[in-house]
Amino acid sequence: MTAPTATAPTDLVDSLATRRRTTELGLLVLAFIVVCGLYALASLGRNASLPANVGPFLAGVLTLLVIAHLVIRRFARAADGLLLPLAALLNGIGYVFIARLDDELAALQATWTAVGIAAFVVTLVVVRDIKVLQRYRYTFGLIGLALLMLPLLPGIGRNINGARIWVEIGPVSFQPGEFAKIALAVFFAGYLMENKELLGVATFKLGPFNIPDPRHFIPVLGAWGVALVVMIFERDLGSALLFFVLFVVMLWVATGRAAYLVAGSGLFALGAWFSWSRFDHVQTRVQIWLDPWVDPTGSGYQIVQAAYALAWGGTGGTGPGLGISGRIPFEETDFIFAIIGEELGLLGATAVLCAYLLMAGSGLRIAQRCTDGFMSLLSVGLTTLLAVQAFIIIAGVIRVLPLTGITLPFVSYGGSSLLANYVLLALLMRIADQAARRVAQPAVAP
Amino acid sequence: MTRQIRRLGIAFLVLYAILFLKLNQVQVFQAEALTDRPENTRVLQRDFNEPRGDIVSADGAVLATSEERRAALRYQRVYPDGELFAHITGFYSFSLGADGVERQYNDDLAGRTPALELNQLGAFLTAESSEGDVLLTVRKDVQTVARDALAGQEGSVVALDPRDGSILAMYSNPTFDPNVVSDNNTERASDAKVLFDAAEGAPLLAHAYRERYFPGSTFKVVTATAGLSDGSVTPQTPDYPVVTEYTPPLTTKSISNFGGSSCGGTLFAILAQSCNSSFSQMGVEQVGADDMVESAEAFGFNAKPPIDLPNPAESAFPTDFGAVVSRPEGVAPVNEDAPRLAQSSIGQNDVAATPLQMALVAAGVANGGEIMTPHVLKSVRARDGEVVRTYEPSAWRRAAEPSVAATMREAMVGVVTDGTATGMQITGQEVGAKTGTAQLGTEPATSHAWMIAFAGPPGEPPRVAVAVVVTNVSGASNQTGGRVAGPVARAVAEAALGVSE
Repeated sequence: MTAPTATAPTDLVDSLATRRRTTELGLLVLAFIVVCGLYALASLGRNASLPANVGPFLAGVLTLLVIAHLVIRRFARAADGLLLPLAALLNGIGYVFIARLDDELAALQATWTAVGIAAFVVTLVVVRDIKVLQRYRYTFGLIGLALLMLPLLPGIGRNINGARIWVEIGPVSFQPGEFAKIALAVFFAGYLMENKELLGVATFKLGPFNIPDPRHFIPVLGAWGVALVVMIFERDLGSALLFFVLFVVMLWVATGRAAYLVAGSGLFALGAWFSWSRFDHVQTRVQIWLDPWVDPTGSGYQIVQAAYALAWGGTGGTGPGLGISGRIPFEETDFIFAIIGEELGLLGATAVLCAYLLMAGSGLRIAQRCTDGFMSLLSVGLTTLLAVQAFIIIAGVIRVLPLTGITLPFVSYGGSSLLANYVLLALLMRIADQAARRVAQPAVAP
Repeated sequence: MTRQIRRLGIAFLVLYAILFLKLNQVQVFQAEALTDRPENTRVLQRDFNEPRGDIVSADGAVLATSEERRAALRYQRVYPDGELFAHITGFYSFSLGADGVERQYNDDLAGRTPALELNQLGAFLTAESSEGDVLLTVRKDVQTVARDALAGQEGSVVALDPRDGSILAMYSNPTFDPNVVSDNNTERASDAKVLFDAAEGAPLLAHAYRERYFPGSTFKVVTATAGLSDGSVTPQTPDYPVVTEYTPPLTTKSISNFGGSSCGGTLFAILAQSCNSSFSQMGVEQVGADDMVESAEAFGFNAKPPIDLPNPAESAFPTDFGAVVSRPEGVAPVNEDAPRLAQSSIGQNDVAATPLQMALVAAGVANGGEIMTPHVLKSVRARDGEVVRTYEPSAWRRAAEPSVAATMREAMVGVVTDGTATGMQITGQEVGAKTGTAQLGTEPATSHAWMIAFAGPPGEPPRVAVAVVVTNVSGASNQTGGRVAGPVARAVAEAALGVSE
């Protein structure tokens, strides 16, 4: 890993970059057409007329996509060609459904999208070498923890809808947890690369398991523990689960030791049991998950209505704008997938699932192609964040898992979420670009 | 690390496959069950946010229509004639559900039948919606006459075309205003329902086809048909004795004629005078239990009439008169319950009939013994005017052979020319009828006044059959039916034939 950041021949990179950017442009046009078509249909379905602002809307979407594409051409021309079109598609679908539900939120979401793309651009421009992040891994670790704990600070922390995950400073309020997850992924990638040999070596034998020296565990366990405690106090079960999975997956990928997966699952089961036995709200969630029809108009209302919405949509959906909205609490954020399932049906919902799966695939492929361990591990972490977050909330909405309220990346309404995910996307793109440029050449291998 | 990354990819694939499978379960396999759950109001919500077709009378009056409102529910159902057609159209209420035609033909009105959906496909480019207008056989002119002739008395009127079973008018008083119970304001609608439920006379109940009464002497038409059908009675024989009362076997309690009068004679004479003693004797001694039951059921008793309205009541004739106790020479076998059979033969005891059923009795006689399926639907029309469905008339029951029906028709015409129903005569028309006075109590004397009739140009199949019952009338004489229900029946028949003065 140390050696050769041997750079691939320029003409090879050039041809790869050209191919990828052409693909990206084509797919962006496709995503643009799909989103605009949906936007028009949703408005037709709802009001039997085309949206009044359809012109500015088209221009706005096009401008944002073109800017993002041009910036990639300039600053990360060899990066993966699938990620941006997929994100644009999901972001666009999300916007169409938010606009279909609430005009005011739609205006805000449009602003957040612009800010998100701006953050994407800035990240690509500023972070020219992802390896720089590795140097500041502990700083990122501290930033991550600080961000996580921010909502607990009296004065600026806000308790909204039972979860204390908001920070309000002056006129700006945001969810620092969305950014903390990226910082922590960077920290973990850096820390695990540094200590991966030590963590992979068995020093003790405990039953069938080989246990490494506990000292190397301390930072990992520490961050993990702090994250969990914060989650419990902030009552943000979804994020807690996400972090849990992130840590275990990164540890396992870095060391290759399945024992970490087993131990992680065990610890998770313990944590789950503990919070179930100690917290009423956790018990309620589990109860609703097992049988929401015990109280279909009370505690189970949200899940029951989501099931009715999905069933109402059936295979082909009611058509955009033609569903019955206004029945599911948080339908623009946590439950937007239920509305998509209602109006686009099983087909549309499956398309969304496929989009996430393709993003996860692209992310992992980037990780595979990295010759550098840190970059590879960071892409695994970022990809896991994206894929698992989408999984957790969709699984909650369709009752595969107990519901834990987190946002659906790129789709749900929410500025913090959108911004953080575009930063995450930019980092992945940066890694992809660097990986493509640093293709190891057998000829010059040491 | 490469191996772990590949495995992580497989893990993601598995996780998303689980989501996909669960989506299939919810959106496809369990979808219908979830949509049908009682607390799931999506179907209702959709229906009240989509246009709905009109209900239109045979003479072109709009009986129910949907008006667009700027409210949570986009469409409000409106009934321009208020109470007049309430028991036919029913109501269409967000909080109380639907009844009548609104319920029976909901899929047509909402445009969810295959025919309407297919029609809409053709009209796709013109953005026509698929809802259908339901055209009824009911005529507003006849219905209005029924209401006016009843003049606020409690009772029901049913008029139909015996030739194809088309309902021409069906009105009951008291009735209700469907506009009130269909109010999209659920509170107002529920309050109205509470009020109507508490009101005297059960106005929400469509008495014409959902309430049963003693048919009284109108049932003698069934008894006479039974006698003619099994051959025990002819227009010439037997010649019943002129007496004031008849005492059935196995009892000392006699059945007396109205006001203690004497009557008797052959079939036409006893039907014209509505002679209780003769008909109870006919039921017991000539027809017998088995043939009485058979004939009553051939007319439609003990079965729900297949009318295209929800929940019609079943008219009743007792089916069990006990074991045969003796078989006297020359008369029908005597059953244990012979006294009950005697009373049943004149429409008392456990006999109960809806006004609709009695109209079908008259219609059966008028239509050569064949009772056509009663119906209110004429056709369904798409919004572009194309008729996508037409009601096909069908036979329901054969009440009697054509020859028997012809004799009965003659006998009932005799009741009008020279009997208890002389008030039913209509100039230039052949009218047959039978009166009925079902006694309820003696202190004070009250009764249900009945008239069943058919009418039409002489020598042609009758064009209208009518049944009228005016309930809880004070007094109970042989004349009550003709005096109270007769004018109503006549007015309705005249209106149906278009010969009103």
